[in-house]
Amino acid sequence: MTASVTAARPPSDITKRSLPATLVIHALLIAASLLMLYPLLWMVSASVRPENEIFSSTSLIPSSVDFSSYVRGWTGLDISFGRFFWNSLVISLLVVAGNVIACSLTAFAFARLRFAGRNFWFAIMLGTLMIPYHVTLIPQYVLFLDLGWVNTILPLVVPKFLASDAFFIFLMVQFFRGIPRELDEAAMMDGCSAWRIYWKIMLPLSLPVLATAAIFSFIWTWDDFFGPLIYLNDMNTYTIQLGLRTFVDSTSASDWGGLFAMSTLTLVPVFFFFLFFQRLLIEGIATTGMKR
Amino acid sequence: MSFRVSRRNFMAGGATLLSLSALGNSAFAQENRLRLIWWGSQPRADRTNKVSDLFKTKNSGVAITGEFLGWADYWPRLATQVAGRNAPDVIQMDYRYIVEYARRGALAPLESYMPSKLQLDDFDPAQIEGGKVDGHFYGVSLGANSAATVINTVAFKEAGIDVPTNKTTWEEFGKIGAEITKAGKRKGYFGFADGSGGEPLFENYLRQRGKALYTTDSKIAFGAEDASEWFDMWAKFREAGACVTPDIQALYKDTIDTSPLTVGKAACDYAHSNQFVGYQAMVKDKLMLSNYMRIKPDSKGGHYRKPSMFFSVSAQSKAIDQAVDYVNFFVKNPDAAKILDVERGIPESKAMRDVVAGTLDETGKVPLEYVSGLGDLAGPLPPPPPTGAGEGQVVLRTISEQVAFGQLTPADAGKQLVDEITRILARG
Amino acid sequence: MTNAMRTSAGAVTVERYQGVRADGRLRRLWNANAPGYLFLLPWLIGFFGLTLGPALISLYLSFTDFDMLRAPGWVGAANYVRIATADPKFASAMSVTLTYVVLSVPFKLTFALLVALALNRGLRGLPIYRAIFYLPSLLGGSVAIAVLWRQLFASDGLVNAALSHFGIVGPSWISHPSYSIYTLVALSVWQFGSPMIIFLAGLRQIPQDMYEAASLDGASKFRQFYKITLPLLTPVIFFNAVVQTIDAFKAFTPAFIISGGTGGPINSTLFYTLYLYQEAFGNFRMGYASALAWILVVIIAIFTAFSFLTSRYWVHYDD
Repeated sequence: MTASVTAARPPSDITKRSLPATLVIHALLIAASLLMLYPLLWMVSASVRPENEIFSSTSLIPSSVDFSSYVRGWTGLDISFGRFFWNSLVISLLVVAGNVIACSLTAFAFARLRFAGRNFWFAIMLGTLMIPYHVTLIPQYVLFLDLGWVNTILPLVVPKFLASDAFFIFLMVQFFRGIPRELDEAAMMDGCSAWRIYWKIMLPLSLPVLATAAIFSFIWTWDDFFGPLIYLNDMNTYTIQLGLRTFVDSTSASDWGGLFAMSTLTLVPVFFFFLFFQRLLIEGIATTGMKR
Repeated sequence: MSFRVSRRNFMAGGATLLSLSALGNSAFAQENRLRLIWWGSQPRADRTNKVSDLFKTKNSGVAITGEFLGWADYWPRLATQVAGRNAPDVIQMDYRYIVEYARRGALAPLESYMPSKLQLDDFDPAQIEGGKVDGHFYGVSLGANSAATVINTVAFKEAGIDVPTNKTTWEEFGKIGAEITKAGKRKGYFGFADGSGGEPLFENYLRQRGKALYTTDSKIAFGAEDASEWFDMWAKFREAGACVTPDIQALYKDTIDTSPLTVGKAACDYAHSNQFVGYQAMVKDKLMLSNYMRIKPDSKGGHYRKPSMFFSVSAQSKAIDQAVDYVNFFVKNPDAAKILDVERGIPESKAMRDVVAGTLDETGKVPLEYVSGLGDLAGPLPPPPPTGAGEGQVVLRTISEQVAFGQLTPADAGKQLVDEITRILARG
Repeated sequence: MTNAMRTSAGAVTVERYQGVRADGRLRRLWNANAPGYLFLLPWLIGFFGLTLGPALISLYLSFTDFDMLRAPGWVGAANYVRIATADPKFASAMSVTLTYVVLSVPFKLTFALLVALALNRGLRGLPIYRAIFYLPSLLGGSVAIAVLWRQLFASDGLVNAALSHFGIVGPSWISHPSYSIYTLVALSVWQFGSPMIIFLAGLRQIPQDMYEAASLDGASKFRQFYKITLPLLTPVIFFNAVVQTIDAFKAFTPAFIISGGTGGPINSTLFYTLYLYQEAFGNFRMGYASALAWILVVIIAIFTAFSFLTSRYWVHYDD
């Protein structure tokens, strides 16, 4: 399959567009990019400028450049920031796996299989999307405490393997429903089991949405703060977002330079994760084209 | 006991699932290990952990597992842990929350440990009172501070104006502020921050008038006319350009990094003395501390020495004795005092204060000298704020903003403030 | 697309399942339903094991005076009565939230769709552009955003610096009660990355050969968009609309970080869930907060149900 994928590259219409039009589009995109990049530039600039200048100056260019915030940020806490990176990476990758596997199974059932009570369960599933988490937090905390899971990564990871994230189920349902039905109905008439249809037809045709789910799962878990705040007490288990928060206390002395230096570093893995997985978005169409 | 009852009732609420609790969990109730939680950042953590290590070596190896978070993140985690019956043994408490936690049975009363384990004999008696709720002692003060005006001395010098003294009145302060604004030495720079929504300032003003925020029996202790005059005074400052405009003031979120002083908008702001070091770290210019202004040259007693924070012991702790030992070590051991310095405020124990006084650097000395030099400005400690005081603080801020943005007259604002706070206190 | 074949296959299936219901024999019931429930099993375990219990407890707590520290006491419908009759902050928070929903969702979706179309194909450097455009969403609710938004929308921020070229002296937008909500809408629109990616994935799923066929028939690009892209994208548009609306109703982080948790000035950014959070964790009224939460659930559910009802008129599924 890999070979066919590379062979079946999506047709490009670069050649069709006139040169001036291309230039205009690039100019617009670059201008918009600057708007999007500004925070990053500001953050990098804040991370190398003197502490007492961070909030009083609006200029992007620091009066002097000093990389000590990076050293201080990485080593200044009781536990090296590398540990937080590792913890976040483990949790995020597990969540990606959990969401992609469990939500695609659930979504397949809702999108393609017929069974009594399907609409009912679908409505319930959507309903779970609507409850503000602040009020279920304490009952859930008590539950996980009783299971002995507090201060481990289990409360953050296990629910994902049980398709707790309705967002991704709903997302995948919408995409699965867009895949031509004759494909799996033909397969069903050939006596294919539901599992084979899921595994051999649905998943390969759904790479774009699976990649989307993977990207979001990774980034949202990487950025998540409230879950780790509640469930991880021991600093050895902290994620980067918790680590970042320990630089700053609004009522006493804070290390803002360290915060912005480490914030900048935390963007690096997500950025590369994004760049890597968005390739799957493109390969996805190639596969669809090939199969059809 | 409250543990059992509460847990059972909790589950009776339809939680079939929680019967899984048969699996049980006491992962944290290990021998010779205490859990400690506080708010703060790494510098505070470094000091605290060093004291914990010292405690371990000197006290038969009782180890302390510390957790810390910034102020804003601290309270939701603590509330969740307490609600889940998984509270740390030693809890850093704030003056504002101690009543909430103590009245709801989350904290262990400690009076029976005095003086056997808690040797607080050289504490200022008023500060011990400050740790009491309904007659029981729940919090050992870790340091004293007082509300203060933080002043950017360089901005004053540039404008050629003398900094306020401890005799300056609000009226004179208003003139000083207007002059700084008029001097225009810095772009968009004002004399002082708009303090009309700041509870410590308002309380100070009320105390100078012989009133207070709340009575000992949790009633409102000021009238509409007090509040109206307060709002009116600030309306005049605003008009004269002495203080920042309302939209600039609204950027302030009760944090050091959003203070008009820090972001370079005003030459004065209002804070607590133990935050001085935090402010100085964020501002290039040399800062100083001064008192809140007097309402008349001879009025006094607005300030008070306030416990900056407490250590309390959780009522859920299975090792209250050891927890109390730790707290006592923390506030009474000279080596611990040297490590802790005045980072949490000035030590309450006279002996520890003497230990610390010799070691301070220039910035560290400022709050110490400020608090000890309050003189006739300082009065008695008010009773701990009642349940609902936190909401009262929010209402004061909201109404002050309504006045500042022209949605309310000072006269109406005074009435509304009293009405709303009365309603909040009645709800409890 | 072989319509005829699809219909007949569908009919066969329907017939088969109706047959099962009429027949009612246990084994055929099993055969018909087992695959569905087996695929649903992880979700069902999670739902009954982890989600339902806490949800029911929070529903129960909404009828109590639970303060998180003491055992809850039953108060009947008192919380709901108070919300309906004696809580001006409820109405104000609801109206702030509705404003936010009504403004942020359409702008964000339109913007995301336009950018997705521009970034779909045919340009060099697309992966880089996509990553850059996703950058604001990467920052999520970090502290940096709070500081940054101040840099942009405070009195001496970039926006006012730009306006001053036109002789306009702007206020501090972010902290003025009349404008602060719009800076939060702007933040939401600026973080358009997630719907953009979903649109991109949707565009990627549209078979290329449909465009090729249309091109051969001489259809203009514009016509292709209306006849092919838009209809085939409706399931994804529908998804984004529903999910973004639910998210906007539940929006918490933007207001929390920008207003420092206060919802100020003068409650102008007091989002519904921020109010709920203040009641629960600031004022120790978890019972009351739970009642607020369930009212929000009902309101969102009504909106969502309405969207699903209208969807059959404009959303095109291939099944």
